[in-house]
Amino acid sequence: MRTKFSGILTLILALVVQLTFAQQKTITGTVTDDTGLPLPGANVIVKGTSSGTQSDFDGNYTISANVGQTLVFSYVGFVAKEIKVGAQNNIDVTLQPDAAALEEVVVTGYSTRNQTVQTSAVVSISASELSQMAPTTSIDNMLQGKAAGVQVTAANGKPGQGAFVRIRGTGSLTAGGSSPLYIVDGAPIREVDLATIPNEDIENISILKDAATTAQYGSRGSNGVVIITTKSGVRNKDASIRYSSRYGVTSQVHRNYQLMDAEQKMQFEAEMYALGVSTAATLPGVTTLPGSPERQFLLDHQTDWEKLILKEGILQNNSVSFSGGAEKIDYYFSVSNDRNTGIIDKIDGFERLGSRLNLNLDAKKWLKLGVNVGYSRSTSDEPRDRFNDQNPFFAALSAAPYDTEFVLDEFGNPVLDENGDPIYDTSGASDYPIREALDDEPQLNIYNTTLASINTQVLLNKNWTYEFQTAVNWLARRTEYYVKPGSYLAGVAAGIEGGLKRDFQDHRLDLTISNRLNYNLSSGDHNLNVLGLYEYNMNEFNRILAESTQFPSPLLSTQTNGALKREARSNRSRLTLVSYGLFADYNFKERYYVSGSVRRDGSSSFGADVQWGNFYSGSVAWNVANEPFFDVDFINDLKFRGSYGSVGNRSGLRNYEAQGTVTFDSYPGGSSTIPDQIANPDLSWETTTTTNIGVEFNAFNKRLRLVSDYFIRKTTDLLFPVRTAYETGAGTITKNIGDIENKGLEVSLQGEVIRTSDFSWTLGGNVLFLDHKIVSLPEGKPIDVDNTSIRWEEGRKINEHFLIRYAGVDPETGRGQFYGGDGNIYFADELPQDQENRVFQGKSTIADLEGGFFSNITYKGFGLRTDFVFKTGNWINNIVRARSNFDGSDIGFNQTVDAYNYWQQPGDTDVAPSPKYAVQDRDFYYSSDRWLEKGDYIRLRNVTLSYTFPKKYLEKTPLTSLRIYAQGQNVLTFTKFWGDPEVGISSGESISFAETVAPGETTLYSYPNTQSYQMGIDVSF
Amino acid sequence: MKKIILKITVLALILLGVTACDSKLDQIPFDQFGNENAYVSAADFENAVRGAYAGFTSGSMYGGSDQGGMIDAGDVLADNVTIAQDGRGTRSTLHNWRYVAADGPLSNTYQRTYIIANRANLILENIVSFEGDNKENIIAEAKAIRALAHLNSAIFFAKIPTQSGDANGSLGIAYVTEADANALPARETVGVVYDKIVADLTDALAGINETNPPGRLNKQGVATLLSRVYLYMGKYDLAVNAANMVTTKPAARNNVVGVWKDANQDGLLFYIPNEVGTLGIGVGVAYSQGSLNNLTPEYVVDYDFYTKFSDEDIRKEAYTAPGQKGSNKYNAIVKWFGRDSSFDGLVDLKVLRAAEAYLNKAEAYYRLGNETAARNALDEVRSRRYTTFAGGETGQALLDAIMLERRLEFAFEGHRFIDLKRWGLGVQRDGFGDLRDGTGVPSDVQSLSVGNKLQLPIDQTIIDVNPNIQQNPGY
Repeated sequence: MRTKFSGILTLILALVVQLTFAQQKTITGTVTDDTGLPLPGANVIVKGTSSGTQSDFDGNYTISANVGQTLVFSYVGFVAKEIKVGAQNNIDVTLQPDAAALEEVVVTGYSTRNQTVQTSAVVSISASELSQMAPTTSIDNMLQGKAAGVQVTAANGKPGQGAFVRIRGTGSLTAGGSSPLYIVDGAPIREVDLATIPNEDIENISILKDAATTAQYGSRGSNGVVIITTKSGVRNKDASIRYSSRYGVTSQVHRNYQLMDAEQKMQFEAEMYALGVSTAATLPGVTTLPGSPERQFLLDHQTDWEKLILKEGILQNNSVSFSGGAEKIDYYFSVSNDRNTGIIDKIDGFERLGSRLNLNLDAKKWLKLGVNVGYSRSTSDEPRDRFNDQNPFFAALSAAPYDTEFVLDEFGNPVLDENGDPIYDTSGASDYPIREALDDEPQLNIYNTTLASINTQVLLNKNWTYEFQTAVNWLARRTEYYVKPGSYLAGVAAGIEGGLKRDFQDHRLDLTISNRLNYNLSSGDHNLNVLGLYEYNMNEFNRILAESTQFPSPLLSTQTNGALKREARSNRSRLTLVSYGLFADYNFKERYYVSGSVRRDGSSSFGADVQWGNFYSGSVAWNVANEPFFDVDFINDLKFRGSYGSVGNRSGLRNYEAQGTVTFDSYPGGSSTIPDQIANPDLSWETTTTTNIGVEFNAFNKRLRLVSDYFIRKTTDLLFPVRTAYETGAGTITKNIGDIENKGLEVSLQGEVIRTSDFSWTLGGNVLFLDHKIVSLPEGKPIDVDNTSIRWEEGRKINEHFLIRYAGVDPETGRGQFYGGDGNIYFADELPQDQENRVFQGKSTIADLEGGFFSNITYKGFGLRTDFVFKTGNWINNIVRARSNFDGSDIGFNQTVDAYNYWQQPGDTDVAPSPKYAVQDRDFYYSSDRWLEKGDYIRLRNVTLSYTFPKKYLEKTPLTSLRIYAQGQNVLTFTKFWGDPEVGISSGESISFAETVAPGETTLYSYPNTQSYQMGIDVSF
Repeated sequence: MKKIILKITVLALILLGVTACDSKLDQIPFDQFGNENAYVSAADFENAVRGAYAGFTSGSMYGGSDQGGMIDAGDVLADNVTIAQDGRGTRSTLHNWRYVAADGPLSNTYQRTYIIANRANLILENIVSFEGDNKENIIAEAKAIRALAHLNSAIFFAKIPTQSGDANGSLGIAYVTEADANALPARETVGVVYDKIVADLTDALAGINETNPPGRLNKQGVATLLSRVYLYMGKYDLAVNAANMVTTKPAARNNVVGVWKDANQDGLLFYIPNEVGTLGIGVGVAYSQGSLNNLTPEYVVDYDFYTKFSDEDIRKEAYTAPGQKGSNKYNAIVKWFGRDSSFDGLVDLKVLRAAEAYLNKAEAYYRLGNETAARNALDEVRSRRYTTFAGGETGQALLDAIMLERRLEFAFEGHRFIDLKRWGLGVQRDGFGDLRDGTGVPSDVQSLSVGNKLQLPIDQTIIDVNPNIQQNPGY
């Protein structure tokens, strides 16, 4: 005790002595910017110590320091200034803006560049822009309308569901082959897994569009690259604590059609029966008479199925982050929680918990270390997404309104079973007890994702740097599907009376080890940067599946409890990539730019004869505004650039597809050999060569910005599973045959219309004009895409619908008519059989014009931001509409009131066909263009009204900033489409996200898109 | 200087850890096997022949399917069943003969024929250089498999030789005997196809074991198949000879119910055991789902046909049962309903039964003019089905009796449409509804006259891929 006390005493004495000897004094002053305006919140630190302060709202500061010490003044976006304390007691400082910091920094692949010195078509979206969108769950949805040339189609409205992103058109005809390459802090991630990244952690999303940068990704870059960078702290800045919270409600996007109620439905049934629709015979519209007590009973107990099955969902987001840094270290730490319950009653939607620590430190003068680690856990309740009444949305639209959820007694009360629970009514046409199924057939997906990148940088000398990075993306997914014993499905489906449980456990590991040697030379007018790359990437997938039946209780669902083990399986596959690269860029006085890249990739998925491929690019640019002769003052930049290169795509290639293989199954007596793949040692990547010409124009202190690019993408060696004759029984061989072409013009324009200290108004927008076609196909033959109405044919657009043309109703008989291939009009069963009756009409699933525009108004603290997205030129086969207006077919299912508009007497036109012909003609309506509709729309994606409290109100509080806002998403839609025009997945169990070749081809009751209203608050202190 | 050395050391250490990556490009599959390893040892060929048999477990063959296969399509197309309004309307285009080439019916069966043939052909090509004990039996099995696979498509997509005078010269199917992924086979005539089937079965009969493990063909199975093919070809003497090689008797009367519950295998010549973990196929989905009290029937017993099962006939109990959905009562088809009291449709796949050899023989003898022998063969079956029966028919009455017995015996096993077709008949339904007492809603279309629709159209996508495949007339 005594020693400790004396120790402290000594310390205090020492301090006193120091105080005495060091001539401490108080210094005051003002920190201003280059225009003389005060800079509030500027950091003032005594160099080499931990003592420091911040300037107040008027830029004034007070600090104690000793003579001879140095004060460091810093402010984000300005060059720090050091001033030695001398005799003066007042030090006023003017900080100069940091030209480099104010420049938009873009990540161009393996390096970062200032916007002005790069020669490629790159779009960069910053954190601030992302946070204004208050994203509900997944980041890819937010890209829509944000970047010229990027087409985004929401997969569906399921919480946590992502989007189909296509950069500059559709670059592949294989499923999933047209998605860009996504890289998060150096680690590739699949498009479908993007929702596992908490949005709050994202600092920047850069979209690389042309070969000048995508070629650096060699055999993976041809559909563009999306580089996601997570946040880091700011050096020499005390910790900033940021808290954001948001809460809101979500519901189905307004439906623009009306379903029948019970009265309408029964009247309709009676009409149908009278017309000879025999299947109506047993329905209440026929079996009960209007005005009868039985009819009244049905009317009194009718069900609004949509209301019953759906609910108003809740959106919630909370996140906290700490970020800051000292002289040699910076850090960013965050935790976040996102919740979106979705709009289906009885099940939860999506919930994500995320945590991240990013740390960068200068270990030695020549050694920098960095570690970015993020972990997230997402859970998602999965409703059945199939084309029948096991799908809640199918049931909501199809169940008859006079049907009831439960069996009712004569008084209208639910009949109870032996346990006292109401008995579900399964007597209707849509007889699946969907609400019971939501309780008793849960499917849950749980994702545990770890994204980590470890970075070491060695400064060899002032020109040479060596960097080593390990980047890992480890996704562990668990899927549990349980049909509880005692559930309806267990009772009716074969072999699962005692329930069924299926467990998947997937591990997906993507590991990248990267070595980079960088040479940088900045001497006077010459700037040269050369990067050498040696990289190894390994992707491994492991799955274990177990399935049992006969469970003792619905409460127990682990495989241990299943008495009868039905299936146990594990799968593994591995994909490797070894790459060498050399990338160089050079500029002279920021006037003339040249860059080039070469990458050599070897991939385990390529055939034995073609294991290595070379990919290259070159680009040039000229910034006229930096020429001495150019003296138009208001123009800041006028840059012309061009690039050309060849990039690969291997994503459509399955891991061992080039090899001839057999698989094994079981058969009584032992294993059974199932011939599988046919060997093709020539199988390799798809190649896209892109030519790009662009112009960038900045004027009036960059208040007006225009970027425009024209591109031609030619994709060759397309991968096709070439169908062998069915008579060979051999299946398909994957070959590199076929070419497609995408051409387009991108224009992006943004201007600050008004900028005063109190009021600003920014308008901006971008648009892509896209033209695409199929140049050649295997043997020149057309290909019908499985489960779609699409046919690919040479000279046609990509993903064109190929359907029989509907010719309307014959006014005399009321029967639907069709155009034969010969152009004549026929009834369905008279269509000529000896010729092709389906035709092309130039109607593709791909929009030929797409983009977005926004307006951002700020006045004092108020802000009003509106973002619109639009799309036109795409066609959707609207099967949901067909089934909701089914001309008397499947009469037990509910219809819209439009179904009444059918042919009744000779001379009726502009009507649906007479139901008399329902049964015999209905299949032709599916295969005709009767329900093919234009998918054009303009949608108010986001409107945000916010208020940011002025600093002066916060002075007395610990807060440094406070913003509150109200936000609406998908609030308004302008479309002529029947239903919601934002269509991605048709039916997830028919064609899953990963298997979708043509997003938006058809509607089949997938999860509808939602609109939402949220309130939020952002606080920093 | 010291610092430079230090840095280079760090660099060297890191690089050391990541060299030698190139060898990692040689990846071989974990879940599959390279072709070159697949047909080498005796065990490989056992696996391969089981793989070929496994092709028959597809729903489009004997596995039971709501899209049509061997156990149901021949009934759905004919007069044994009525479509149930409580069902999901599966195969209604088939049932009402509304099929068109654009959406060709049973295209899965067609495709499966060649998938199986390819597996058999791979065995036959690879076994040439193999010299092992079981070689002859494997070759025989592969040929029998190939023949059965082709026969199953030929009966639906082409005429049957006895169907009409022009049948043998009309379009058959492609009979594929080589494993060549690049081939574009053409359709051969019906006559050629049946000759090739006979050739394969004759070879098979010579080389196959008397007995093979369950799930595999044996001598009597092949003989039954050969008698069927000869019967279809109108070669009645040969049909009799082949059928005479079958010594197994039809299942005894008191075993009949048990045969369809898998309680015994009496009279089965080729069946595929269907156990969870090995196969676990819900065969019964072809006709219904759910329990008898909460039945979702796709097809129910046609009311008129139902009345043809006398109360003396054990098959009434074995094949049919009263079922209901809500207040709708049905005559449910329970041939594939499940074992014991279960209704999961999980039962063994019965492909060939001894009863067929006797009924083939009865019909062949009748055509040869030997009514006594015909009646004797018929009675081998009838005596094992009825407690008592009159018998003793002659002339047309005998033929009618043979035809009726065939219809009753093979009800819901997919024979009916093929039999009508080869007898040169169309289909005439009786107009009754789907409910137990014949009320309810009848099938949309009630009759199919003799004509092009007896041969199903070949799905357009099949022709699109292989232009050598000619479409059937009338489509």
